Amino acid sequence: MIFGVRHSVAVAAALGTLAAVIIAVLTWKGAPVTSETFLVTTYIGLFLGALWAMYATGLVVVYTTTGVFNFAQGAIGVFAAFLYWELHVNRDWHSILALFVVVGLFAPALGVVLDILIMRRLRTASLVVQLMVTVAIMVLLLSVVGDIWEADTPRRVPYLFGINNGIDLGPSQLPWHRLIVFVVAIAIAVSMRFLLRRTRIGTAMRAVVDNRELAALNGARPNVVSSTSWALGSMMGALGGILIAPELGLDPATLNNVVIIAFAAAAFGALRNLPLAVVGAMLIGLLRAHTGAWLDFGPDFRFAHLSIAPLLLLFVVIALPQARLEVGRLAHHLRRHERYTKWWEGLLGCGVVILLAAAFSGGWLDFGGWDPGAWGSRELNSANEAMALALIGLSLVPLIGWAGQINFAPLAFAGFGAFVYLKLAGDTGNGYWILMVGLLCAPLGAIVALPAARLRGLYLALMTMAFAQAMSLIFFPHPWVMPIIGTGRQFPHIDLFGITFDDRRGFFMLMVSVFAIFVYALVLLRRSRYGRRWMAINDSQAAAATLGVPVVWTKVVVYAVSASMAGIAGVFWATVSGNVDSVQGFDLLLGFNIVLLVAAAGVSIPMAGIFLIFIPLFKGFGLRLEDAGNVDFLVTLLDIMTTYGPGLMVLGMVFNPRGAIFEMGRGFSPILPWRSDARAEIAAENAQKREPEIGELGLERPFTPEEVIAIDRRLEILDDVVPKEGYGTSRS
Amino acid sequence: MALLEAEQVVMRFGGVVALDNASVDIDSGEVTGLIGPNGAGKTTLFNVVTGLLPPTSGRVKFDGHDITRSTVAKRSQMGIARTFQKLEAFNTLSAFDNVRVAVEKNHRAKWKHRRVGEVAHEMLGKVGLDEVADVTVGTLPTGSARLVELARALACRPRVLLLDEPSSGLNEEETTSIGQLLLELVADKDNDLAVLLVEHDMSFVMGVCARIHVLDFGKIIAVGTPIEVQADTAVRAAYLGSDEFRAAYTGVDE
Repeated sequence: MIFGVRHSVAVAAALGTLAAVIIAVLTWKGAPVTSETFLVTTYIGLFLGALWAMYATGLVVVYTTTGVFNFAQGAIGVFAAFLYWELHVNRDWHSILALFVVVGLFAPALGVVLDILIMRRLRTASLVVQLMVTVAIMVLLLSVVGDIWEADTPRRVPYLFGINNGIDLGPSQLPWHRLIVFVVAIAIAVSMRFLLRRTRIGTAMRAVVDNRELAALNGARPNVVSSTSWALGSMMGALGGILIAPELGLDPATLNNVVIIAFAAAAFGALRNLPLAVVGAMLIGLLRAHTGAWLDFGPDFRFAHLSIAPLLLLFVVIALPQARLEVGRLAHHLRRHERYTKWWEGLLGCGVVILLAAAFSGGWLDFGGWDPGAWGSRELNSANEAMALALIGLSLVPLIGWAGQINFAPLAFAGFGAFVYLKLAGDTGNGYWILMVGLLCAPLGAIVALPAARLRGLYLALMTMAFAQAMSLIFFPHPWVMPIIGTGRQFPHIDLFGITFDDRRGFFMLMVSVFAIFVYALVLLRRSRYGRRWMAINDSQAAAATLGVPVVWTKVVVYAVSASMAGIAGVFWATVSGNVDSVQGFDLLLGFNIVLLVAAAGVSIPMAGIFLIFIPLFKGFGLRLEDAGNVDFLVTLLDIMTTYGPGLMVLGMVFNPRGAIFEMGRGFSPILPWRSDARAEIAAENAQKREPEIGELGLERPFTPEEVIAIDRRLEILDDVVPKEGYGTSRS
Repeated sequence: MALLEAEQVVMRFGGVVALDNASVDIDSGEVTGLIGPNGAGKTTLFNVVTGLLPPTSGRVKFDGHDITRSTVAKRSQMGIARTFQKLEAFNTLSAFDNVRVAVEKNHRAKWKHRRVGEVAHEMLGKVGLDEVADVTVGTLPTGSARLVELARALACRPRVLLLDEPSSGLNEEETTSIGQLLLELVADKDNDLAVLLVEHDMSFVMGVCARIHVLDFGKIIAVGTPIEVQADTAVRAAYLGSDEFRAAYTGVDE
């Protein structure tokens, strides 16, 4: 388990360099290298690096001062860039004014609002909740951008001072815009370093993240500090977004993906070291520019040059010395009884799901005036897609929910499953190969598990994200792996038990059945020794190891199980429309959405899967209503639910970290005769709420007169001893 | 020959020397104490013995075999079990399941002819936690969670049991019954058990330990029976001014 730190870094660096040299030799374009072209390429690289350094600085500042790693950093940039476009281009404001309003007013306000509403409350949340909530903010911001600025209008953000004005460099020109970016980025990084290391507020900021209470006792104001951090981080994200938009174009997904490069840069500085993060950003910039200039990866690897950052992130995270990351603290709650889903509850739930799905898709339910009838092809297509994604989501329950192994790469496993199936079953559509897919995906999971085994929490999240991004940039776009879309049906209809599932309804029911089997398998797994062991290593690896549990092997097994499930789900994902877009179909953002949905449902409960099935049903139902007309309100409502639902529900985890299914189970407990345990728990919690709280003992604020009386009663201090007024309220 | 021996163990963290040629030996059939001021290296020694930390130099021997390079899981299978000073219970699992994880892992090797649930219940019973068997451990008081760790360690059917401050969070009565339990366990010849006890409650240590090792700044400064150790001048110097020791020495409890 324990590697020599320097040793592993050296080995990784050596292997990385070797691989880079081999790739460079194989893909050398043969363009002449002159000092002029070399210089121009270098200055482009440094400029790109400076832009990414700006994002990375924001990430590092927020992480070192609040302990929250902000996945939404890129999305803040996206939002700011669109807002800047709206003010500057659409409404003709002067660029300086627009820049000031967006970066100087809007961005810090957004940061402060995020801090007050959400981030502050994450302080004691578990790491999974922290990560999920920032990812949810990212998804929500992008959804808002997509709703306000519809994608059909082409937009451009102009360069500051135009692209043609600047310093003459001989063969080319250095526009003012790029020079400004470079200078500003370096200035920001230097001043942030100065702020954190040399000023009073900077010291307070770093102290607060280590021990909030202690820092508060020494006069720091934790809330002011965290709001300042978020305002600063948000400003840097906004500035980065506005300055990078002229280069990349105003596309939310492209702009958001910049954040992965910033993650790689931040990881280069072990997430806390600002100068190293800037160096990392410059390094990636130079690599990007020079590979673009000298190497040609050919049409089969057309996105390979974009994969430098994810690959570097992967390498750095794996090689990084593993500092013990701060993990969320478990707040003490009321005594709670452990509850397994009973085997018959599982069966009952699965049965209900199958019946419900059959009723919806078969049109057996009549909703009066709406003439529901049978679903049309559009509704079923939409429902089928969502159903396949829900299946992929189920694979995360054992991995994230039980073993605590955060995984942002479910689509990478799913895509690999689809690929294996395509190679095995070919044009036959023979459904029995799906079992083989399950078996063959397990080793891929195991391979990912090996580096993952020594990572925890945030680093694991970054590693799986980098893995997903690398797979979707290098592996899936290769024409041998996934056929180019638009060349006809590549994934034939599945043929199983002598039935060809070629109509959408039959296919829907097939997926629902697989779904029910998965859910039931999860119920059984959770009750088994494997489920227990996975939860045990999540709670304490050290303790599990001292009981004889082989930690690495246990992780390998849970990854393999999850990869198998995701792989099988991937076959359905690809078969839904007969093909899967090799770029869009495995997009990281889609992967994030799946993870969010599962997290919101309550990722540790097998029955959370049941919740996922409502998404396809809602989707189909919404379309059906739309067709029926005159129920606009409901259509809009369902639309909002499917667009913003996952993100909003995850934000709900700030208050109910155990997820929706858990709260629903409790909500229904009064009418479920066998849930006396939940009823007793609710009663106990209500009883506790009625107790007067004297927990904090005046550490956070002076006692109120009511509290003084309550304490005196508790301590049986006689009334006449208590001063009439002013007691405790004016502490000097 | 002692059942478990740590020989000349050195543990350095950068410039800090946590253990400086520390040697400890423990025999089966008795409780051995390991005491010393805070930061003396007691928990570090536990981590080295259980394999969570690889020592800078020195050896760990179990039953005559050198296990310095063995994995944590391997040592557990050989019969070394422990509890933790900083709680490491499985908080999301019930007390029963905490113990069950341990029984299941050691079922084939050590509990062959008995059912898993039966063994788990017996272990919980030994530490007096029958009533909270199905309560999630994260919601139990600290003292009870410590007892869950003890039950879990016992479920590994250890030959060496390392206990890191088992009495903290327990009241006097509970501490006494844990001491009683330890004495019963080591007295049972079938168990063939050795216990190494790190403890700050001096009356507890003096009451149950046959021999005591005293650790100070990573060095073993005294070994002997409780009476010998209490009389040792080096030990008194190490503890001078410490309430714990004064309490133990004069027999006055705080």
